[in-house]
Amino acid sequence: MDTTAHVGVAHARELLAFADAAVSFDPETTAQARDALLACTDEAAMIDAAAVIAGFNGITRIADATGIPLEDAKAADTASWRVALGIDRMPAHKF
Amino acid sequence: MRMRADLMQAQDAAWHAIGAQGTWRTGADRVAIAAETRHALQCPLCAARRTALSPAMAEGEHTSLGQLAAADVEAVHRIRTDSGRLGRAWFDRLRGAGMQDEAYVELVSIVVVTVAIDTFRLAVGLDPLPLPAAQPGEPTRRRPRGARPGPGWTASLSPADRCDDDPDLFREHPGPRERFGANIHLALSLVPESMMHWWDLFEPMYQTGPQMRDFTRDFRAISHPQIEMLAARVAALNQCEY
Repeated sequence: MDTTAHVGVAHARELLAFADAAVSFDPETTAQARDALLACTDEAAMIDAAAVIAGFNGITRIADATGIPLEDAKAADTASWRVALGIDRMPAHKF
Repeated sequence: MRMRADLMQAQDAAWHAIGAQGTWRTGADRVAIAAETRHALQCPLCAARRTALSPAMAEGEHTSLGQLAAADVEAVHRIRTDSGRLGRAWFDRLRGAGMQDEAYVELVSIVVVTVAIDTFRLAVGLDPLPLPAAQPGEPTRRRPRGARPGPGWTASLSPADRCDDDPDLFREHPGPRERFGANIHLALSLVPESMMHWWDLFEPMYQTGPQMRDFTRDFRAISHPQIEMLAARVAALNQCEY
């Protein structure tokens, strides 16, 4: 299912495919996604995208491995869309 | 391939720091954690847990390199392969198996540095780096005097509780450290050197706090919306609720 068509971000499809591939840690898929991104951007953009993906592949693990809660103000600001996106159901799946 | 100098310097420094004497772990122990982080991707138990409705439904033992204690292996493997389903009960079981909070925080920092650098190099088409050499030296075992319980499972050191004998983990005068003490900053602060190990790598990969909030210009070759879209996607893929 293509969920990237209307996000309003330049090259969203290629960037998201690059993120999916890199996080899956599959070299072949990642190479294909990298080539597709390079075809519509440039090397500097690909490198900075890789850096963001890689950085968040680390920092998300810090958040989940240390049990830090969302700050109260951020939780209040994002309450409605956290419900809409199902994010608030995630703690029920932790073991 | 032409990389930003700060990006390469940060990765080089973070990678070699894995082999250095730690605060609660030796250099050899830290390198073993990095090696085990890579090895976790080939662990059949982790693969079975990853696809199970509950990780508790898959029983067995981890396939490990045999260099770490069982609690360390469990921590490394779960953080690497199924971090989105880690909960307080799991952490309490680690404690029950002898895991010290400070040693755990240091372990987390090494796992995530390894994951981030390996992911980056895979993404841009570079081979993984060889593991750094372990340096000699005994851990300092220094816990910040101002550390207090929370906001996560372990204690943390807030900017207000930092003492003069703590490293300047939140701010330097002059910078570049400008960390105001959000919960994600506090997560590793029980071991200030581990917090700095991570954040000194992460900010050149993403942005510093002031850069993140400055929408008058772009600081990378991709825009703020592109950066945040990627961050959100990775968080969703890893089922990170923070």
